[in-house]
Amino acid sequence: MENRPLSPHIQIYKWHISSLVSISHRITGIINFFAITLICIWFALMLLGESNYQIIKNFLETFLGKFILIGITWSFSFQMLSEVRHLIMDLGYGFELQTTKITGLLVIFGSIVLTILIYLIGRGLI
Amino acid sequence: MVQLSLPKSSEVKKGKYFKDKTGSKNLRKINIYRWDPSTEENPRIDTYEVDMDNCPSKVLDILNKIKNEIDPTLAYRRSCAHGVCGSCAMNMGGKNGLACTTPHAEIDGDIDIYPLPHLKVKRDLIGDLDGLYKQYQSIEPWLKNNSTKQTTEIYQSKEDRAKLDGAYECIMCACCSTSCPSYWWNGDKYLGPAVLLQAYRWIIDSRDEERKARLKKVSDELKLYRCHTILNCTNACPKGLNPAKAIAEIKKMLATANV
Repeated sequence: MENRPLSPHIQIYKWHISSLVSISHRITGIINFFAITLICIWFALMLLGESNYQIIKNFLETFLGKFILIGITWSFSFQMLSEVRHLIMDLGYGFELQTTKITGLLVIFGSIVLTILIYLIGRGLI
Repeated sequence: MVQLSLPKSSEVKKGKYFKDKTGSKNLRKINIYRWDPSTEENPRIDTYEVDMDNCPSKVLDILNKIKNEIDPTLAYRRSCAHGVCGSCAMNMGGKNGLACTTPHAEIDGDIDIYPLPHLKVKRDLIGDLDGLYKQYQSIEPWLKNNSTKQTTEIYQSKEDRAKLDGAYECIMCACCSTSCPSYWWNGDKYLGPAVLLQAYRWIIDSRDEERKARLKKVSDELKLYRCHTILNCTNACPKGLNPAKAIAEIKKMLATANV
């Protein structure tokens, strides 16, 4: 009786838009937690000394620094749009299968568009 | 707790290969999860080559064909064969459904057949659903009317009856609950979509007098609010119902009503 095996679950279950958005919502939530902490530390360091500003600025201009910045921007964009989707669902709307697919895709592509927009605005290109 | 990998004794090994003996040109490979309780061995995947020229259209037809013509030791539940009893619920091509209503033409490539996910396996494709049935019992799925004087039937308006549409059709096949990651990780406490849909069905029944008590009962961090609208349930339901929406409606009732 006790040696009954557990049937496979996440290893075999097929992903679809809604489950992908849901898991990404969690992952971006965790990323955002660390991102906000990191940003706070940067600000605190800047308050502590002028030379720190230069060090952080140099770091942010490296490839890794840029990757982190753009990553954080995407993560925030995704979380925000997905949260709006959840809010609408909490009101009881958008549960039809077709609708969930469309809103899920809107969140995924919207987050990319939003990231590019924020980048362009930040660069002063728009 | 979230346990992403399977326990050691549940890891799936490669099993036997049953080569086609009919000489058919139209063959399809079917990979089926097997576990024999009489041995100490791990579960395995057996592969069967099936002649599709002489096989009707549903996944259950393939299983019947294998059991009748290739390997009689294969065990699975089935009964009505047209989507009413809910016995043949299993995971086909990575998605839960009823084998008797799922056309094999809808699955690309080799067909992988597993028992319903994250259940204790009794044998081959048969999972243990006792936990789910106990939870179903816990919501007391029957009409509760305390008046002792009324001896006639209780009338219900057409509008009130219409509220039960989409909830009463559930056949308790467990496709939805066993597709839900929240139910995988917290199945001992979280009621899961199937049971919550039924809880909703009794909460909104105009003839039932225990609405408040029912709402209070499901109003629990773990029993109800483990639903994070992943929507695997609605995607899996072979009857086209929407458990996720029912759960959202319960949450809404709890947020607006004074329970």
